Amino acid sequence: MAKGMLQKRAKGFSAKSSGFSAGERIALWTARFVLIVFVFVVLIPLWFVFEASVNPLNSYVSFSLWPAHASLVNYIQVFQQGQWLLWVKNTVILAVSIGILQVFITALSAFAFSKMRFWGRKYGLMTLIILQMFPNFLAIAAYYSALAKFNLIDTMGGYILVMIGGSAFNIWLLKNYFDAVPKELEEAAIIDGANSWYRFTRILLPLATPMLIVIFLFTLVGIFSDYIMAGMVFETPSQYTLAVGMYGLISGQFGQNWGMFSAEALMSAIPLALIFGLGQRFIASGLVAGAVKG
Amino acid sequence: MSANMANLNRIANNKSVKKGSKTQKIAYLYMSPALITIAVLGIAPILYTIFIAFTDYNQMHFLNYHFVGLKNFISLLNPNNPLSAVFIPTFVWTLVYALLTTGFAYFIGLFLAVLLNNPHLREGIIYRTILIIPWAVPGMITMLVWQGLLNDSYGQINALLHTVGIPKIPWQSSPFWARFSVIMVNVWAGFPYMMTVCLGALQAIPSEIYEAAAIDGANWWQKFRWITIREIWSITLPLVIPSFAFNFNNFGGVYLLTGGGPARSDNPFVGQTDILASAAYKMTLDFNRYDLASAISIILFVIVGVISWLNMRYTGAFKEVE
Repeated sequence: MAKGMLQKRAKGFSAKSSGFSAGERIALWTARFVLIVFVFVVLIPLWFVFEASVNPLNSYVSFSLWPAHASLVNYIQVFQQGQWLLWVKNTVILAVSIGILQVFITALSAFAFSKMRFWGRKYGLMTLIILQMFPNFLAIAAYYSALAKFNLIDTMGGYILVMIGGSAFNIWLLKNYFDAVPKELEEAAIIDGANSWYRFTRILLPLATPMLIVIFLFTLVGIFSDYIMAGMVFETPSQYTLAVGMYGLISGQFGQNWGMFSAEALMSAIPLALIFGLGQRFIASGLVAGAVKG
Repeated sequence: MSANMANLNRIANNKSVKKGSKTQKIAYLYMSPALITIAVLGIAPILYTIFIAFTDYNQMHFLNYHFVGLKNFISLLNPNNPLSAVFIPTFVWTLVYALLTTGFAYFIGLFLAVLLNNPHLREGIIYRTILIIPWAVPGMITMLVWQGLLNDSYGQINALLHTVGIPKIPWQSSPFWARFSVIMVNVWAGFPYMMTVCLGALQAIPSEIYEAAAIDGANWWQKFRWITIREIWSITLPLVIPSFAFNFNNFGGVYLLTGGGPARSDNPFVGQTDILASAAYKMTLDFNRYDLASAISIILFVIVGVISWLNMRYTGAFKEVE
């Protein structure tokens, strides 16, 4: 709303100001200059990574914007040797299973917090959110020794256990979404004799699909980026997730691996960046849609 | 966006479930998966950490550990104990790192947001899209890539500096430059979030306030100082404090970039750029000192708790959670 007003104001400005003041002109060109400098600060490192990924020689001692014999050798090598594909596979299996379990756990309790009355409803969620301000990796010594006791080190099951704890923040996001679903929809179903499970699965879940997707995607990106817990659980290279494997690759022998590493970094980052952008858009539109409906 | 959420919540609360209806026992059934996982996988490990912190549970006493009271805390905090060389400098650096990273990211983000908010800047959306990229790239990949770019001998950043006549910078071997690079890279990765938040806040300022100020004869600077900055500050403060707390514990932002190095001469446990979170990680996995790792974690718990409490106390975040 405020944004709309601002745009209107901006249009008003530009309509009447085919010749705006000299001060404004200087401000505009200064802004442009500074922004372009920052655009370069953002783009140069990214370009370097791209340049290294198409540079077959693996030599970067002298600076170049474009390698002398650009080729896709590094990309081909990633697929022919190296364990990158295996790490991607491990990470996808883990991320998808944890994502599905998280969505399931979140949806069930968000439904209870939004649509039911029970002792603890008022302060329960707030208490949980405050508790979860403490990141769980702070308990790393406890996790590690417990996993070691139950022989779960270096297993996917152990990692899933560590990452599956319900997230109060996700419950809160989804609860808000459920809250905005008109009561009339549910009341009609109650009159028809529908029980809570029916209302949950047939009315609320379908309406909340965008938010469920957001929670799934955010969990997915979280698992892809996690190093600390995966680094704690996994020990053999064939079990590694992307983060653990790629850390080993870059902190090992830099000179040999940088070209291949850049190719892998680009191929990992681009899909994740797109998922992230999608999630952001979903979350913004999802919240607005909820407000309008409410 | 948080303003949106708050509004949504307020609207939602007005129409929450009918008053006076009875407790629905089935609610507990729906909540049980979340409550059980939070209790077993979230709260129990924290309690276990507190327990370990008061014992001598480590590689030497894996099966027969004893209760040792405050010994672990005392050895970390007492300046006469050699282990304080692990804790005290690491704590100071964690604080400096979190403050500078959050501060620079915030002010650069705010500065760029103000520039982007210029109504005459028609191509602003292009700059904005490009400037958001570091936020969209997963932090893990950002840090690992920068580790390669900043390599002392082969890194492309040093090659670039060489072309413009600057000698090689020892990003990875000098304590000062390693710390400098940690802050630099984390600001690079962190400013787009701040920029987005500030831009949202700028656009949420009602234009009537500016019009009223213009009628009162306020000049450009007065409007900026007394309207823009004040309004932005009140909207963004609830996000700056959690961002500080995030950086304070940003294990990946340090460990994936420098591995905590370069090494310190006075102790084998932590390096020059290690923050408390990565110190706890190394204590656990590299040295099997679960007792000391847990004691460091407990101290971190307390610090994060105080920061969060301050945040809620002064900004009223989560007031509306019901």
